[in-house]
Amino acid sequence: MSVKKITLAALMGSALAATSAYADIKVGFIGSLSSDTGLSTLRGAEMAIDEINAKGGILGEKVVLVKADTGEDVTEGVKAYEYLAETEEVDFVISGSIDDVSLAWLPRMIEYQIPTLDTWTSYVGIIDMVVEDPDAMAPYFMNIASDEALATLYINFGKDVLKDRMGWDSVVILAEDTAFGGAITGLVTDALAPVADIEVKDIITYDVGTVDFAPLFSKAQASGADFIYQISTVNSQVISSQYVKLQVPLAMTGVNVGAMGMEFWEDTGGAGGGISTLSPVPSVGFDMDPVSADFVKAYQARYTSRPMVPHFNGFNAYHGVKQALAAAEEAGGFGDVKAWSAAMEKQDLTLEKDGKLWLRYAYWGKDEVEPVTQRTYPHNGRFDLEAPYDTAQPSMVVVQWKEDGSVGVVYPFEYANTEYTLPSWVKE
Amino acid sequence: MNIRWYHLALWTAFIVGMFFLPQLVSKGTLRTIIFANYLAIFAISWDVLSGRTGYVSFGHPFLIGLGAYTTAILTKRFDVPVEISIPAAVLVTMVGGSLLFLPALRVRGSYFALVTLAFMELMYQLVQVIRPDLTGGTRGMSGIQTLTRGAVNGYYLSFGLIASLGFGMWLLMKTRLGTALSAIGMNEEAVRGSGLNTTKLKLAAFMLSAFVAGLGGAFYVHYLGSIAPRALFDINFVFTIIVAAILGGASTIIGPIFGAFFLTFLLEYLRPYLPGAERYFIYGGIALVLYMFEPKGLHHVLQMALSAIKGKSRS
Repeated sequence: MSVKKITLAALMGSALAATSAYADIKVGFIGSLSSDTGLSTLRGAEMAIDEINAKGGILGEKVVLVKADTGEDVTEGVKAYEYLAETEEVDFVISGSIDDVSLAWLPRMIEYQIPTLDTWTSYVGIIDMVVEDPDAMAPYFMNIASDEALATLYINFGKDVLKDRMGWDSVVILAEDTAFGGAITGLVTDALAPVADIEVKDIITYDVGTVDFAPLFSKAQASGADFIYQISTVNSQVISSQYVKLQVPLAMTGVNVGAMGMEFWEDTGGAGGGISTLSPVPSVGFDMDPVSADFVKAYQARYTSRPMVPHFNGFNAYHGVKQALAAAEEAGGFGDVKAWSAAMEKQDLTLEKDGKLWLRYAYWGKDEVEPVTQRTYPHNGRFDLEAPYDTAQPSMVVVQWKEDGSVGVVYPFEYANTEYTLPSWVKE
Repeated sequence: MNIRWYHLALWTAFIVGMFFLPQLVSKGTLRTIIFANYLAIFAISWDVLSGRTGYVSFGHPFLIGLGAYTTAILTKRFDVPVEISIPAAVLVTMVGGSLLFLPALRVRGSYFALVTLAFMELMYQLVQVIRPDLTGGTRGMSGIQTLTRGAVNGYYLSFGLIASLGFGMWLLMKTRLGTALSAIGMNEEAVRGSGLNTTKLKLAAFMLSAFVAGLGGAFYVHYLGSIAPRALFDINFVFTIIVAAILGGASTIIGPIFGAFFLTFLLEYLRPYLPGAERYFIYGGIALVLYMFEPKGLHHVLQMALSAIKGKSRS
């Protein structure tokens, strides 16, 4: 090797070392870079980091963001977490992963003990792991209400609206064949039926690649049920648009991830009217408090590609990253995980609208028992399951798309800005 | 056995080089090598069966999954120590291998491939429906006992596995058994006509393949610490295994190791520059070009390079 080459290599090495010296606080994003939900988390984190850097960073250091794509693939999730931990050596991980991907990288988080915040995964089994092993799970936080809390409030919607207001007695479940589909089907059959006194007539499972739903809708109709409970996270626009175009004479509600984004109307070619879905907050059609409204405005000024409005997890990431960095500032960095975890538990941001508590970004205490479910939710985002929702926001809202392309919240009534209505082709 | 001194010298160099590798590379690189090692094990398992005999299996995740799920369930749900659960997983996988073998008695070619694909799909459905309290259902299981902590220990374990399985299978394929299996791939009727029992030979290939898949699957799940049906019984997983074997050089044992390392490193090294799905286009493009211009795989490219060097040194 010539002297020139050695000098060049040394200079490049010094330049690399100098670059990494500036990147003292490193935040790693893990999630899908090709889904609206993954991008929501990523962009929320980007905006929070830019705001913090504009104010001088934290602990005198600049914060940088690195990305690791999971492609919503379970094994890629493990590789992505390892990449963030071992190659990028991040201090903190912000996750927009789906359930089974989070479950896959969790053993790595336990091994590396890197502070991590999940903004999309809502699997209560992970909170159970925090309960069982609080030391190993100290770095883990989830700032979306767990699925058990989502389902609990949805049962009330079933009782208050579907049963009492609409007078329906029976349901047919139309669920996609995924982890989430299986879990929610279980929750609906175990809870909606006995608590809301709604009989489950049939459970129809379909493959996520299904393109023709006509036979499935016919089967649902033949079951004699009063309404359809759909569970769809993949290609939700397909089942929705076919429901509308076929004018299926049964109301359809449930979980439709596609309908949780503002692009739903465009994705269904305007055939999404009448579809309703539960959604974590803040959802589409959700009345915004001034802080959230400013966030959306800044988001739209910055990003010109979809999702045009961040999904709920974008808000979670925006506030969550700020809280994680504030906790690091209090704990003297991310190095002492127990100290950071304790500081994170104390984070509490209340956003008000018209003088009323509207959204709260805080965490359940270790020994705090939630009064409705009578259990603890350590490191889970705080929620309220009882009206008037004065300690936190509800764990979910039900939103409905109208036939004119508008969307609004129909439940809980305290957050509702429109009424639950039947599509025009469905007879009462 | 057609073994030359330089074969053993190359294996020794490979093992010694890999042994000292943790002193030279970062932990991130070691993590990448660990995944490459496991992919190499799965590709070897596929190569022993499909590369040799021509019975193309699309259902290898069925075997890998059997091994992985058996040890995961035994350790997580029944507190069985891994010293027992892993051998049990290998045994169960070999039983599964014999199930996979049954269709090979009647069909071959694309029909056999489709039947094996059905095995994988069946397994995907079964683990979600049958006793989800044991299998974890659609979400799978997390918190499965891991055998090592840290990149270096994980690396040495996976290296030990690939070195012993790779060398063992390579040796075995140098015997008359390996030659007979290759002959089945070329002309099964001719092998039968020569007086050899092809059924027994094929059964041996299936058992060997299942042994490697089961062992690899069991150690893989104890490395990951989690398991999900969507990760294992997935068509992309099958394709990755097959592409690794073919790209590296099918029916060579060493080729699949090259292929697995090439694929894994290509994807991981592209990650910082192309963090999204774009890197899969490059991966697919390179694989396509390589396969079009060198269907015998990377193994053959290296062989030609070695021959060229030898020729140059002689002249």
